[in-house]
Amino acid sequence: MSKRNTTTVDIKESPLFWPARLKGNTLLVLDETLIPQKLHYIKVKNTKQAVEVIRQMKTRAFGQFLVVMNTFLLEMNNAGTGLKPVPADALLNKIQKTANALNKSRPTFPFAEVTSLVVGWARQAIEQNIDIPAFVPTRINGYLQGIRGRRLERVRKIADVLKDGDRVLTHCNVSGELAMAAHLARQHSKRVHFFATETRPYFQGSKLTAWELRRLGADVTLIADNAVGSVMADKLINKVIVGSDRSCANGDFANKIGTYQIAVLANEFQIPFYVLTQPSDKIKTGKDIPVEIRNPQELLTYLKKKIVSGVVSGFYPGFDVVPHELVTEAIALDVRA
Amino acid sequence: MTCALETQTNEDHKTASDSFLNDIRGSVILLHGVFEPSVFDVVKSGNGNELFVMEGRPSLESAQTTCRELLRRQIKPTLIADNMAGFLFYRNLVKEVWLAYQAVDEPGALCPIGSLIVGVLAKRHNVPVYVYPASKESRLMGGQKDIFYFKGIKVAPQNIKGYVPLVEWLPKKYITELRK
Repeated sequence: MSKRNTTTVDIKESPLFWPARLKGNTLLVLDETLIPQKLHYIKVKNTKQAVEVIRQMKTRAFGQFLVVMNTFLLEMNNAGTGLKPVPADALLNKIQKTANALNKSRPTFPFAEVTSLVVGWARQAIEQNIDIPAFVPTRINGYLQGIRGRRLERVRKIADVLKDGDRVLTHCNVSGELAMAAHLARQHSKRVHFFATETRPYFQGSKLTAWELRRLGADVTLIADNAVGSVMADKLINKVIVGSDRSCANGDFANKIGTYQIAVLANEFQIPFYVLTQPSDKIKTGKDIPVEIRNPQELLTYLKKKIVSGVVSGFYPGFDVVPHELVTEAIALDVRA
Repeated sequence: MTCALETQTNEDHKTASDSFLNDIRGSVILLHGVFEPSVFDVVKSGNGNELFVMEGRPSLESAQTTCRELLRRQIKPTLIADNMAGFLFYRNLVKEVWLAYQAVDEPGALCPIGSLIVGVLAKRHNVPVYVYPASKESRLMGGQKDIFYFKGIKVAPQNIKGYVPLVEWLPKKYITELRK
């Protein structure tokens, strides 16, 4: 096995690692619902459209964060297209309205924590009598570059966690980082096999995780969500790695529905459970995380085909909360500005 | 009961979902497997129980047969995906678990894939697990392609492997009672 340190090797990027970017006055957002059929970017022109791509789950997880930050850039670009300069108070008001709209898009992801950074920078500019259109975009772009660097660093940490011969179970999708770490580990001659749960009802495990792992050269086996116990009992896996959408001060976290039962099973079968977190102390414990309950029709039908005949109800909680005592190690990303 | 909770604002949403979860706390019977139809004769509608049915990927036969039998008895079931069982336990919604078994022996029971997840969750949350006869025997393993499709629609990329166990052994430490 190679002794090279992971920092000496270039990281091959997955399209899911940075799925939204600003091009002129248009925000291009990767439509994750069309993967693996095609890589298509939705053109977003304003806050209303940004909220829609989030609500319709065209983007998710880290993509939501990028959409939020870039929507402020978009709206400030839009505000600057008139003949007269926009007064600072009016611009602050526009930024606050944009933040409010984004905060209401979905309940579980901590949108308010992200948007409050931008509102704070706008207020800071007014207090210091600095031009908002010059100051805030500079802060946003600088912040995003910092996050990008820290995420690449976390990819290296994940690659270090992966050992030769590992058989890793993952759930839903961690926005490129696991696949990129898998590629990095492979560069270091580590043989790692991944098991991806399909992740009903949107199939992010099948459509995104299995796709990007394979795309970056990893060996991957797809299983149904209900086969997790079987692969653990039969000792087919020796490690679990998942992402997270929201973290609490005590280490509890929220992630895609299905994560809690995986954590409980891993604990039962004494399998190490790793989670990629973005630490925050805004919420004390997992009991306080608002869990999104989505429209049950998203569960009861697939591409307009009914799952069962007859009139039945459905229940679709979008996320699980996992207590910190089930976590072996949190691989944290510092998201402070 | 209906679970159609449409998002309007975060606060409205939180109130509606919290109210729903409070209403059904401790009243859910979680069903998994393809049961002998007579099993459902003991289920009486209107006695405060909510019957939640797991999908049973990849065939969805568990959901289809159980929902059909319950609807025949004028009981409206609630369908969940197989990865949603944990949420119900975490929120203390589950009163008891019913699993269909194909075979029993001293060490435990041969049950549909997913039973071990429910058994371990039930043990952690002190919820009883009852196993009932299955209506038919399932194969031990499915084909790889079974997991690549959902209702006949391809959901997986090219060039990956699939692993499709259809049954699993549920050790007796996770079973409260065998019911025939």
